[in-house]
Amino acid sequence: MKQITIDPVTRLEGHGKIEIFLDDQGGVKNTYFQIPELRGFEKFAEGRLAEDMPQITQRICGVCPEAHHLAATKALDALFHVDPPSPAKKLRELLYSSFYVTDHTTHFYILAGPDFVMGPDAPVAERNILGVIGKVGLELAGAVIKTRMQNHKVIQMLGGRPVHPVFGLPGGVSKAITEEQRKEIEAIAAESVEFAKLTLKVFEDVVLKNKAYVDMITSDAFTHRTFYMGMVDASNKVNFYDGSLRVVDPSGAEFAKFAPASYLDYVSEHVEPWTYIKFPFLKKVGWKGFVDGKDSGVFRVAPLARLNAADGMATPLAQQAYEQMYATLGGKPCHFTLAMHWARLVELMYAAERMLELSRDPEITSPNVRNIPKSTPDEGVGVVEAPRGTLIHHYTTDEHGVIRTANLIVATVNNAAAINMSVGKAAQALIQPGKEITEGLLNRVEMAWRPYDPCFGCATHMLPGHPAAPIFTYDSNGRLVKSYE
Amino acid sequence: MKTVVLGLGNSLRADDGVGLYVARAVKRLVESPDIIVAESSASGLDVLDCLCGFDRAIVLDAVQTGEGKVGDIRRLAAPSSGRHMTNPHSTDLAMALELGKQVGLPLPSDIAVFGIEIADSGSFAEQCTPEVAAAIDRCAKLVLQHATAPAEKPSNAGHHVSGMA
Repeated sequence: MKQITIDPVTRLEGHGKIEIFLDDQGGVKNTYFQIPELRGFEKFAEGRLAEDMPQITQRICGVCPEAHHLAATKALDALFHVDPPSPAKKLRELLYSSFYVTDHTTHFYILAGPDFVMGPDAPVAERNILGVIGKVGLELAGAVIKTRMQNHKVIQMLGGRPVHPVFGLPGGVSKAITEEQRKEIEAIAAESVEFAKLTLKVFEDVVLKNKAYVDMITSDAFTHRTFYMGMVDASNKVNFYDGSLRVVDPSGAEFAKFAPASYLDYVSEHVEPWTYIKFPFLKKVGWKGFVDGKDSGVFRVAPLARLNAADGMATPLAQQAYEQMYATLGGKPCHFTLAMHWARLVELMYAAERMLELSRDPEITSPNVRNIPKSTPDEGVGVVEAPRGTLIHHYTTDEHGVIRTANLIVATVNNAAAINMSVGKAAQALIQPGKEITEGLLNRVEMAWRPYDPCFGCATHMLPGHPAAPIFTYDSNGRLVKSYE
Repeated sequence: MKTVVLGLGNSLRADDGVGLYVARAVKRLVESPDIIVAESSASGLDVLDCLCGFDRAIVLDAVQTGEGKVGDIRRLAAPSSGRHMTNPHSTDLAMALELGKQVGLPLPSDIAVFGIEIADSGSFAEQCTPEVAAAIDRCAKLVLQHATAPAEKPSNAGHHVSGMA
């Protein structure tokens, strides 16, 4: 009989980590941000039936199964050359909007919230959601939990299951909704809009009214002038489910706009000796290293990138929040990495409003939810905006629909170069020769990657868990001087 | 008394799926209509959805402690909260439960966690490694025993219940 003590260090392998190497003077020489990659999965998919991919790929990730499910489903539409009927597309977007409400809510309150509500220097034991509740009150916590649970119910109603939907099929979706279900979704959507209003107010009160935070958001340590990529509709408004991919340059001018299927004409991958991750960059600009500016092909994805790459939001309250954000932060594009948190809340509002619009769409209860594929499958690309950024699924098959190749570019990989740069720049600005490396200081380094909400091979999630991304600091002799785990 | 047996894990990542497989084995053995067996790949706050409305919960998951042998079954002490999270996008189970309790969710008062020591959660595979696979039925029987026993006092948690030679 013995008490079990679990050492989280045993869990590090295969997960994210940050390594900071110091020079002789104690300044930062190099930083490395490592994330696991998905090469094993692509092999695993070969030889399987293409129509299984929406079910299999959503199990890659315990956090955004809906994003993989829909990217795979869209890839199947293309692979089998079938266009879904309009009600099916709307049902897909409705499920996806509801998922966005839950995901963006979780990120803001659970991950971003503690840094801002408790402050970056608050002791670790308090810098969590329970600390946040202690400050902002139980009523808001109840609203967070309720919003998440109600939207999980919507996902279950549409997708047939609470976590892994059995929903998307080539050419449509598996089932229509009834008028009764529509009414219930409409009511939840209306409540979600109110919740988004409340959340934007919390952001204003807690973050924007605190000069120290605004100064941190706009500080050079958390700034990179990069290209931005995001999906836009026909009017260049942000869209999570479908549209063209648009890229803007660091001055905000349109650099490219293309059909997602032609992404290989625009994006190449750079290889580094210290990681398996391949760093995507803009082919026509070229790889110039981990640097920003208009001559470097590094681009960013995720909420702020989407807002930068678009001309606005397609719904009224989100558009209002969008305008307020840019007016406050000095115009477009916005290069402040920490503004990603604000952009995420603008998107939370858009997702809730879009959900409400779709729930009121006269077509949404139509039984016409599937076109049966009749063509021989060959190759298909499916792209959606995952909450963490552009997600690309690309499959080729034989004539029986058996997968020959599968290529998945996930959001965190698209952001990998930028995350490395953000961590490096923050470390360089914050870690100074002769200055003690405190936990609060290393938490600020961590705050440089948290806005991207990167995925560290989150498909595994054993108890009791592990640090999200431990930071190891080494001196010029390679000795570990400080770890933050 | 309503009990939920909740298997957690990922059925694509080799041993990481063991919690799900134990849940399936429990389902085959269960006779009582008051014991509901569920599976989820969720973590953090999402787990709350699966626990609401039950009096007792038994959570099954993979663990990698580096102690003992692969395939060992452990009753875990309630995991403590801190920087450790079951995935980088959310919070851990203990904190999720505390949060749920504070906002008044109808959560079980008796929560047991069974962990199976695993070897491989990195490979993409739809089955466990042999030592872990061999523990599935053994663990299912222990879980069923626990599920049909009277409620325990929390202080009994944290025991190494099986598998040590």
